[in-house]
Amino acid sequence: MELTKQSSWNKARDILKDWRDNNQRRSVEVIEIWENSLASKIHKLGDDRFVVLEQVSVAALDCNRLDVAASCIHSLIKEFPNSLRVRTLLVMKLEAQQRYEEALEHLETIIKIDETNTAARKRKICILKAKNKIPEAIKELTEYLKKFMTDQETWQELCDLYLSEGDYAKAVFCMEELFLHHPHNHLLHQRYADILYTQGGLENIELAISHYLMAINLNEKNIRALYGLALSCHQVLTSAKCSAAKKKEISKQMMWVSKHLARQYEEQQGNTETLTELMSALQVS
Amino acid sequence: MASTGYHKIILTIGICFLVHAAVSAAQRKSSGQDLHEIPSLIFQGIVSLIVCMYAIIYIAGDLKEIRATEELENKSWETLRNIPSFYMFNHRGRSLSPAYDPTSINKALNEE
Repeated sequence: MELTKQSSWNKARDILKDWRDNNQRRSVEVIEIWENSLASKIHKLGDDRFVVLEQVSVAALDCNRLDVAASCIHSLIKEFPNSLRVRTLLVMKLEAQQRYEEALEHLETIIKIDETNTAARKRKICILKAKNKIPEAIKELTEYLKKFMTDQETWQELCDLYLSEGDYAKAVFCMEELFLHHPHNHLLHQRYADILYTQGGLENIELAISHYLMAINLNEKNIRALYGLALSCHQVLTSAKCSAAKKKEISKQMMWVSKHLARQYEEQQGNTETLTELMSALQVS
Repeated sequence: MASTGYHKIILTIGICFLVHAAVSAAQRKSSGQDLHEIPSLIFQGIVSLIVCMYAIIYIAGDLKEIRATEELENKSWETLRNIPSFYMFNHRGRSLSPAYDPTSINKALNEE
């Protein structure tokens, strides 16, 4: 990447901060930026440098660059010899080396020292996940959620695990829990509707329609929700159980969605050729 | 609510009157008069202030709508679903690293 090579250290710092705040994984790029511009200038970052070191070491573990991770963690240990947060990083390194037993031992001691340490408990669940013991991970997660009920990330993770097991009803419950925290997040409404649509059945799809509409209402640029709405409308229209009055209403919505999608494509690309292609691919007319 | 030359002229006039009121108040005070005895001066001050406010509201430009979902508008599910505290490291990206040892998997399997 030309951009990462030429950028000065403060530009690199801003990029890393942006990725950190927006939860972007981009581990390979983080390492590239680190090696090209930040590694030699780390002292210039002030108090920011510790967060950057943490971010880089996680990214390095993600790419299996254990050398980079080791040097970052080492400089963090020098600064904070007794920190549990740094110790969790060490555990993550053991995980990346697949030394799960040792990692678990460390985690147990961390939890013994600080019972409220959520990061360590989460790592324990990750080890189960890494060993592909999904049912055990789900059990552990539900135990965790009994203690820390307001942890949104964990509800989301539990939802993903249920989805990977194909247990849609329980995944739906987790999403409902997330709604309570963020009723105005259009992505959650869209995701919830996606799960309901996957689950199938006329009732579920009708509920999905109302949540897709909610997502579009909150953010009309959510193309995924628009397509989802088009697909669910199509499903309802082709279903035999649906009454004629209902079908009329749904076909009105269908018209509205295709118009709206066409407008969004017009605004973004100036033409609707790709849209017609995509719609025919989905067999939604 | 577009800012026009008309409103700029009003603002200039308003500020002139406001400054005039302030200067004359300072003069009267230095000559020992009590300001409460001169209602025209107080009146001029208040009216010119209102005129300035009126003009500034038009010059400052359009007001923006505050929406609850403004900050979420440009987020995608891809960043929302990514949770750093649940990262797993034994994915296929590992094998792209220069330090990757292909025999490590066999070792791990043998141990189990």
